[in-house]
Amino acid sequence: MTRKSWAGALMALALVATACGRDTATAPVQETSAQPPAESASPTAAPEPVASAPAGGDTTVAETAAPPVTDADPCAGVTLEESDIGVSADTITVLVMADVGSELAPGLFQGSIDGAKAWAENVNANGGIGCRQVELLEWDSKINPTEGTNGYLEACSKALAMVGSTTLFIPPEAITSLETCPNKAGEPVGFADIPERAVDSLHQCSTHVFTLAGINGSCPYAGTGERTYEGFLGPFKKYTEMAGAPLHGIYMVPSDLPSTIASSMPTIRTLNQEGLVVSDGEFGVSGGAEQAAFAEYVAAMKTAGSNIGINGGNDQAMIKLRTEAKAQGLDESGILWACSLACYTDSFRENPNVDGTYLWLPFLPFEERAEQADLDTFLTAMGTDFPQSWSVLAWNSGRVFEQAVNAIVAADGPNGITRARILEEVAKVTAFDNGGWLGSVDLSQKSLSSCFVMLQLNGGSFERVYPAEVGTLDCDASNKAIWTGDSLTEFKG
Amino acid sequence: MKVLQRLRSPLGLSIFIFIVIAAFVIWKGREAPELAGFSVEQVATALFIGLAIGALYALYATGIVVVYTTTGIFNFSQAAVAAFCAFLYWQLRVDWHWAALPALGVVILIVAPLIGLILDRLIMRKLEDAPFVIQLLVTVGVMYFILIGIGQIWPQKTPRKLPAFYGTKSFDIGPVNLTYHRAIVLLVAIVVAVALRLLFRSRRGVSMRAVVDNRSLAALTGAKPDRVSSAAWAIGSMLAATAGILIAPELELDPANLNSVLVFAFAAAVLGQLRSLPLALAGALFLGVSRQFLITFLKFGGDWTFARDGVAPVVLLLAVLALPQSRLQVGRVTRNLKPIERTTRVWEAALGGVVLIVLFLALSGGWLNFGIWDPGAWNEIGLNRARVALATAFIGMSLVPLTGWAGQLNFAPMAFAGWGAYLHLRFALAGEGETVSVFWLLFVGLLSAPLGALVALVASRLSGLYLALASIAFLELMASLFFPHPAAGFRGVHKFKPFDVVGIDLATRRQFMMLLVVLLVIAIIVLTALRRSRYGRRWVAMHNSEAAAATVGIGVASTKVIVYAVSAAMAGIGGALYGTANGSVDATRTFILDTSIPIVLLMAIGGMAYPIAALFTTFQVLFQALEARLEDAGAPSWLLGIVTFFRLFGPGLGAIGMVVNQRGAAFETGRQNARYLPWRQDAKAEYAATKAKGREPEIGELGLCRPFAAADVVALDRKLGVADDLAPGRHRQGRVEGAGVVVAGS
Repeated sequence: MTRKSWAGALMALALVATACGRDTATAPVQETSAQPPAESASPTAAPEPVASAPAGGDTTVAETAAPPVTDADPCAGVTLEESDIGVSADTITVLVMADVGSELAPGLFQGSIDGAKAWAENVNANGGIGCRQVELLEWDSKINPTEGTNGYLEACSKALAMVGSTTLFIPPEAITSLETCPNKAGEPVGFADIPERAVDSLHQCSTHVFTLAGINGSCPYAGTGERTYEGFLGPFKKYTEMAGAPLHGIYMVPSDLPSTIASSMPTIRTLNQEGLVVSDGEFGVSGGAEQAAFAEYVAAMKTAGSNIGINGGNDQAMIKLRTEAKAQGLDESGILWACSLACYTDSFRENPNVDGTYLWLPFLPFEERAEQADLDTFLTAMGTDFPQSWSVLAWNSGRVFEQAVNAIVAADGPNGITRARILEEVAKVTAFDNGGWLGSVDLSQKSLSSCFVMLQLNGGSFERVYPAEVGTLDCDASNKAIWTGDSLTEFKG
Repeated sequence: MKVLQRLRSPLGLSIFIFIVIAAFVIWKGREAPELAGFSVEQVATALFIGLAIGALYALYATGIVVVYTTTGIFNFSQAAVAAFCAFLYWQLRVDWHWAALPALGVVILIVAPLIGLILDRLIMRKLEDAPFVIQLLVTVGVMYFILIGIGQIWPQKTPRKLPAFYGTKSFDIGPVNLTYHRAIVLLVAIVVAVALRLLFRSRRGVSMRAVVDNRSLAALTGAKPDRVSSAAWAIGSMLAATAGILIAPELELDPANLNSVLVFAFAAAVLGQLRSLPLALAGALFLGVSRQFLITFLKFGGDWTFARDGVAPVVLLLAVLALPQSRLQVGRVTRNLKPIERTTRVWEAALGGVVLIVLFLALSGGWLNFGIWDPGAWNEIGLNRARVALATAFIGMSLVPLTGWAGQLNFAPMAFAGWGAYLHLRFALAGEGETVSVFWLLFVGLLSAPLGALVALVASRLSGLYLALASIAFLELMASLFFPHPAAGFRGVHKFKPFDVVGIDLATRRQFMMLLVVLLVIAIIVLTALRRSRYGRRWVAMHNSEAAAATVGIGVASTKVIVYAVSAAMAGIGGALYGTANGSVDATRTFILDTSIPIVLLMAIGGMAYPIAALFTTFQVLFQALEARLEDAGAPSWLLGIVTFFRLFGPGLGAIGMVVNQRGAAFETGRQNARYLPWRQDAKAEYAATKAKGREPEIGELGLCRPFAAADVVALDRKLGVADDLAPGRHRQGRVEGAGVVVAGS
């Protein structure tokens, strides 16, 4: 009826997917283990470390140090107790929340639920964690702030932590619940939230939130005014190299929600600031815009003779732009079409109009399952070769949680698992890469890795372009740069 | 004066709007040198694209105009039918790989007319004599039913795309590439408008239009009203299907997107004064081109990012305000007269309020144990949902005086609620304390009232459909221009503080929920007193007939201003409570049409004229809670399925149910059960009389070949509702019952 809010929501996620990490260029990439200690109590299959094959100074390879292996069974001879809310003698309860059941858009972020569910089933099939089975509670936040708050209330009353969630609207009340929820002893310690990604600035900046997707803005932030951001430049350095000329083109900004604009603009401004891309036009794209509306963007490209078209929105925006470009007879030779993780979808792959589009991912693509053990385990557990991309970080959020539980068990025994200890242990994860599947993430700093892999859609399949060697990511620290400004007012429409 | 008169024609108004837009573009262009420029190619592209988009709006608008001109029903479900047909076409064409022609044939020539016929025979024909508000809301109910049905049949887990006809193939018109698909759209829109224009000028077309003016009279002159009505709905649905299939390749195939063109279609239909197909086509093309020029040459960024969505509402508002209304609804005045009702006493409302408070205390505190099932106390989630539901009920209650009593249909209670939330955030929450006094709500109400008064002044000459459309435009304008603007304060991180009463904090969820119950009860009592006051009587009189009300000395304009102010004050307070219940407000998702229409719909299902009907707005939350409880209790899947079905489809079905129960569930409940109240002997007597009347034979069953007994005469009089001169002893009873006196229980 009015703005297509759920479509905007999709765009929001797509956008945040493009807005990588807040790691500072000075922060060294730590290559500590991303895996839970491979003790007998943690029978989950440990991913194979990826062979290091640096191809030049700016390319590093995600490498995982093998976790220490101990022979002692921490569960043996221990009487398991209800050590905190969400921890019984035989189960550890976690909750995953996602915007799924909106009446008009059912199944929206089902991928998050599916990813977390697959992780829990995989863990349980391999003997559980912390000497217990995992019980996964699912909560549907329905793109509704009230239900978002209710999800946190549910977790507060039943769960040890939250993993793999994708929720767009999280009111302050929900954050209060997250940060002050009482533990079994009644102390307001809160609990850990390891979401698939955090969109809302209040959520991003909470001390109890540890997101693998990272956040691209500084904290604390009041929601308006200037903020220091990190823009992701890596793929654009490569595009410039490939084009052999300075890039200039249009940028599509998802403009249905203030949060999507706020997330998108820092990338554009960082590209401008670093001299990588000159804007021929920045266009607000509504999730509900007709394809005809994209004619304006095509006309701008024609007029300016652009050599790049960048999509900050979802896959459908890129499909419409490129379809309209064909309809308008735009000479596409010499134009580089650039997208992000948002275009890594089945429907994009199957659309012939978008053939040749480049995109980058912060993790190894599904096509390389043979190269990485946990990626293969994940795809097997999901029962498909090409799941919704939300499921990747949802699964890996589970792995982070698993790592924290295993660390507690190793230090304090299985009865030491509490909300407070989970918070402590997750905050210690300074370099999670799950055996090289993901770019390394410093959860304590809420930063994302500077890693990416570039793919190109070619004849209905995604093909690796850069780095050339399969199973590797480009993790150069200079892939990111800082920009300070008010992202909302920077957007001129 | 002549200039003003010319502005009241569609052409004059369109030229005026175009000049305003052009002036704005030039002014903004001068200010913003970074704009892309005004090359011939860009202007030509914007023109042709705008025409193609406008042609799509035209197809929707044409369907609306056809149905309205021939049946008098303004069809809100036009875009929903279009969406359904587009999905069905996708199913056949893309998923089942049918060829285009058979798929088109099945959808446009078979399924679409069938949908139209079903709507006509099962629902719309029964609305012939229904008040306008009911007619409109039933189509809104149909819209919801269809949209939710689509969501369930075709879940939106993965996006669907309907290919354009001839793909991306195009041809050149000067510097512009026009795709075959868009050329087809333009052609179809023009052909449809011309064909329907010819039809309406033919004898059959004249008889079609005659039916809507006076069905019986048209029938006497040889027209077949039932056939005309069926034909109109079938044609309307076929146009919807055509529009849906043609617009779907331009959009993602999802129900919300496909339904979003409704405001544009309304604006185009109103530019055609709801009767002229060529003008509707021209209006739609004008709208498409204006919008395209605006988004091409103006940059809405920064604080005004969402202003581009205000184009259609601005045109709609100007059109309904400036253009003369197409049809005076004189013929319906007598049919819409409300029967005289007993009004609830203030002490009865207070007693009901006490019961409500006790009920909430008992339910939320877990005092009730049903023996086989102890539901227990509400947890934090239950309390949280109850808070939001009760705040929504408060907003819904604002419609009781305005729409229920004064007959001013308002689709924008959330606009006033948003204004109230803004005022609360701006003034009451600016202080240092952790809580805010509940008495601030009075100030919020007082400051919200002027907005209502202002709207009343602007809309004073509007009524019926035009007023409803104006309210939609008003809400859309607020949603695109004001609420997302940083000045409203909803963009950044903000928090609505909890309330306190004379220094006592009401910070817990339970305390705030009980505060809401108490406030709701106070509002019910105040409304009951208002209804019994001279203001209440004036509002009802104005609803029955503005002309009659004016002749007995009621100042219609001032009465409208007062009732709008009262309604805005209530909705404003509701908005402040809604913000507090949620803790914060999202600028782009809270105070919008999507949240406003369900409130109106549920209020209508409950009974718009009864304050207690506001509790019907809690419907979704109640069913959600019930679902969760049943799930926790391990209820069988069939039972859960039934509850889920009613949660999803209940509002739509309830609205469609207004075909038979036009006065709402609260009224029906009261009529059925008021007799159980010990002080309601009148209700008991009325119930007995109604039952006796129901047992009497139908007129045809009285028999015409036997002598009439006195009892037969009385029975006949009752059926006909006339005074009986032959039986003086029965005179009073017959007349009173004939006038349809019923006793409301609420």
